[in-house]
Amino acid sequence: MSDVITVIAAPPFATIQDLGRVGFRDSGVPVSGLADRESGLLLNAILGNEPSAAMIEWAVGGGALRFDCAAEIAVGGAEAMLHINGVKADPWLPIVVASGDELRIDRIVRGRFVLIAIRGGIDVPVVLGSRSTLLSAGIGGLDGRRLRNGDQLRIGDHVPTQYENIEYDKRGGRTNSGGPVTVMRGPQASLFDDAAWTTFLNTEYLVSLASDRSGYRLDGNAISHSGSAALPSEPACVGAIQIPDGGTPIVIMNDGPTVGGYPKIAVIRDSCLSRFAQMAPGDPVRFAVGSSGFDIT
Amino acid sequence: MDEFPIIQQLGDDALLVTFAHTISWDVGIRVRSAARRIRNTHLSSVTDVVPAYTTLAVYFDSRAVSFATVSSEVATLIGDADAASDDRSTLIEIPVRYDGPDLAEVAERTGLTQDELIEKHCSRTYRAYMTGFAPGFTYLGDLDEALVLPRRTSPRVRVPAGSVAIAGAQTAVYPLVTPGGWHLIGTTSIAMFDPARDPPALVRAGDSVRFVRIDG
Repeated sequence: MSDVITVIAAPPFATIQDLGRVGFRDSGVPVSGLADRESGLLLNAILGNEPSAAMIEWAVGGGALRFDCAAEIAVGGAEAMLHINGVKADPWLPIVVASGDELRIDRIVRGRFVLIAIRGGIDVPVVLGSRSTLLSAGIGGLDGRRLRNGDQLRIGDHVPTQYENIEYDKRGGRTNSGGPVTVMRGPQASLFDDAAWTTFLNTEYLVSLASDRSGYRLDGNAISHSGSAALPSEPACVGAIQIPDGGTPIVIMNDGPTVGGYPKIAVIRDSCLSRFAQMAPGDPVRFAVGSSGFDIT
Repeated sequence: MDEFPIIQQLGDDALLVTFAHTISWDVGIRVRSAARRIRNTHLSSVTDVVPAYTTLAVYFDSRAVSFATVSSEVATLIGDADAASDDRSTLIEIPVRYDGPDLAEVAERTGLTQDELIEKHCSRTYRAYMTGFAPGFTYLGDLDEALVLPRRTSPRVRVPAGSVAIAGAQTAVYPLVTPGGWHLIGTTSIAMFDPARDPPALVRAGDSVRFVRIDG
């Protein structure tokens, strides 16, 4: 029997994700992948994994996993209460577990996605170049679906022999931990007049309950634009901030549509995407136009 | 006055080229021609080239190449593109049973018999304008004017995979179970989206499509 993790108690929403799927947007396939990519890269680096090793992206509630073999894991992303066999455990550090050990996540304290990485990665079939789950198409991950009680996840055995000092630490979402989310002007930025921009940049939006891996709706002051309502649909991207007719923003996330017809006032910079992705319903967010932040040393 | 084509940043990892603000057949040809040219050049660190109605996007790895570099390469390529010279396309035939739940209503609202409606839907070759909304969902046009209807006032929560549908001047096949507001006039058993295939979408922007009526 191969090395496996057993899902004892699945949270309402947990899927297998890696760095995502590129090269198939022209077939309408979104990139998917870890919403908090920076934390995922960090956890894989902590374990000596390849950056693309798949892990569990765990959301919405608590639950438990059992390791049916000796393994090395690391947990990060959202802040959560972690226990191994009832003993409190630390995030962001490698944890050696023995066969039969149980990891329990009591609840998520702050943030949206807890990431559970394991040395060797989660071994599920590669679909269109990625192990990431895309629920809308039923592909990737474990049978293209969420994890549920009793699932058994195989642990991969591939780890690179040479540790590569990747550049994630200069771009990390974790170090960029406060202040406004940095954006650049979107393709339809000029449809919005000064008053609209002032509203957009001075409103403290709240992440709506109606948000998931496809998109985050934001509650707050509505914005209007001067363009005609009917913009021909055009390609979109993760982090694009769209303003639909109602005027409150919708941000396209990893599993969101590859095209859209709503005007895009701005796009979240890569340097802030992971931090934004970790915002949970009710969390406040402000936006500022600015440079990527990657150049600052 | 805008000077087309316009190249803009679409976030840190993509650029958007706009060829016009209104949809037309000629603009579609220019978009597809430019997309083909960019794709065939295999620019380094470019991962996706996505044509749409009046725009195309080029996605790249911004850790490996800058917007300025990709932008100038793309500008040169689209500047050289001879608009109408190479609008070749693949013809894909899709077998359809015209048994959709909205067939009778569409016939009634368009004042056609069901046979006339079916005949008008399957007698022309459609061009694929854009793929998106869902994996494998491709917008096809233009529909015979007699079949043009606005979308349903209340969208369905769950449209079955393989549903052949019309709305506005367009027609499409729902590749997966999704919500949808189009009128369902038929079904096909052909897989519009197959993750084991490369490309996974049967029909992509630029392809030509004919619907072939089958019985039973």
